Amino acid sequence: MVNFTDMLTVDRDVDQAIDALENRTNAYGYDAWGFSPAVAKRGYTFGKRVFLPYFRPTVTGIENLPPGRVMIVGNHSGQVPIDGAIVALACLLNGKPPRLVRAMVERWFPNVPFISDFLFRCGAVLGDPVNCRNLLLDEQSILVFPEGVRGSSKTWKKRYQLAEFGRGFMRLALQTDTPIVPCAIIGGEESIVSLYNAKTLAKWTGVPYFPITPFTPFLGPFGYMPLPVKFRIHFGKPLTFSGRYDDEDSVINEKADVIKSQISKLIEHGLAERKSVFY
Amino acid sequence: MILVTGIAGGLAQRVAARLLGSGHDVIGVDYRQDVELSGDIARIPVYRASYNKSAFEDVFRRHTFDAVLHLGRVGNLAESAGKRFELNVLGSQKVMHLCVQHKVRSLIVLSTFHIYGADARNPTPIAEDEALRAGFEFPQIADAIQLDNMAGAWMYQHPEVRTVVLRPTHVVGPNIQNTMCTLLRQPRVPYIAGFNPMMQFLHEDDLAGAIIAAVSGSVRGVFNIAGNDAVPWRTALAICGAMGFPLPSALSRRILPTVFRQPPYLVNFLKHPCIIDDTAFRHAFGFRAALALDEALQTTVGRAS
Repeated sequence: MVNFTDMLTVDRDVDQAIDALENRTNAYGYDAWGFSPAVAKRGYTFGKRVFLPYFRPTVTGIENLPPGRVMIVGNHSGQVPIDGAIVALACLLNGKPPRLVRAMVERWFPNVPFISDFLFRCGAVLGDPVNCRNLLLDEQSILVFPEGVRGSSKTWKKRYQLAEFGRGFMRLALQTDTPIVPCAIIGGEESIVSLYNAKTLAKWTGVPYFPITPFTPFLGPFGYMPLPVKFRIHFGKPLTFSGRYDDEDSVINEKADVIKSQISKLIEHGLAERKSVFY
Repeated sequence: MILVTGIAGGLAQRVAARLLGSGHDVIGVDYRQDVELSGDIARIPVYRASYNKSAFEDVFRRHTFDAVLHLGRVGNLAESAGKRFELNVLGSQKVMHLCVQHKVRSLIVLSTFHIYGADARNPTPIAEDEALRAGFEFPQIADAIQLDNMAGAWMYQHPEVRTVVLRPTHVVGPNIQNTMCTLLRQPRVPYIAGFNPMMQFLHEDDLAGAIIAAVSGSVRGVFNIAGNDAVPWRTALAICGAMGFPLPSALSRRILPTVFRQPPYLVNFLKHPCIIDDTAFRHAFGFRAALALDEALQTTVGRAS
């Protein structure tokens, strides 16, 4: 029988990992973005007890995370940001020392009640250049998905094909002299299968995209239950770029493409290595 | 001699008391009737005049001011938009002209951080050069934005008057009667279900200190003033000892302005953060808020800390 009291207690590993982080909160237990270690302990505990057994992620290359400020750049997919949660869990629980990753969320996301508030307490931050710069200058780690909604809204046909990268992350990395760690997230792109993005429904409901899964017609909202795919997270070697941060778009694009191709390589390697989507 | 506008307000009176204490002569002016000053500041001469009317000019003809503290911005939406435009925009314009005409050395204009607006896309923290997003959703706040912008433009149009524009965060304190304080003093305070934005609070004594620092300093510019620390709204309520109750987001736009008399543009401040950066002010004037956040909030609601 499931013991619900146990479910509510904070996991010991999570507790120790969050306690081991450098304390950047004020006397009331919050930082300026609303991170709260007390709430984050419960959030990460939930992630560890629900996401880890369900998605069974394997993590390689976590030792590539350099100390101090770092920007983790990954492929975005899966309709809902499970990929971000798994990378954040990996960095906190597998990182030596444990790392708190500040995931950058979409601009429409703060309008989502309850969930946005909870994720902000767990360390997520609105994906704005000012926020990124301030966090990096504070020697924190941030997680960015330069594909943005172009990535998370990907349909089945486009899985593991990287969508167009924004340039903002590269300009920020150059401006703040931050090393970039490319990261491939394998599994996310099969977790919620989107056959079609219903743009009209998205417009009516005020969300950026509205995926239709093969199960939507039969199961309705339950058709969005993520499949128990196995996640594989591969962190690449950190790369540092030099040059002007305010250079022309074409110059920045070239640098962003270096990261994009690194992630592509990590994805190819990861896909070649795996024998099944589910184990 | 220093002129303080908005002397009927709790903040202006705190500032006046401090100025008197440090040996300045103070003159007060307000557009509101029946200004009652008690205690130390009872001896301050007070004029009643609308800032946009010619009667106000006489105050400058009768006295010679070294500095003018224009603290009399009308934030209260109980006044009609037309009246607010007259007082805040035309009135402030007149204050500025009179300062030039009568060779006033320093002008301090009290603006507000409300003009940034609490928008879902706000970065943290917001510096002075950030866009003022409030007007985009709430055109009712146009007078406050124009006051702020006018004073900012004034700085280079009339460099002979050292102008400082202050944009404080939520001002709280036992003598403050603004919407935020009124809300905090209720036994049951609403919050918007599913939202708990980070907030800053600035105690009246700290804002008074900041205004005095701005008068005594030598720098001009537009500055944010934040208090110490930031906490979520519901944590602030807990510190005040207030009971929170949830309002659905969809209804909050209706209920908060009617039942709780919140200006519509303040509703979003219970939904999204508007955390401001006061680094520039601290560097320029060597000022730092003295009160801890819990003290600032607890003294506002009359709760012993």
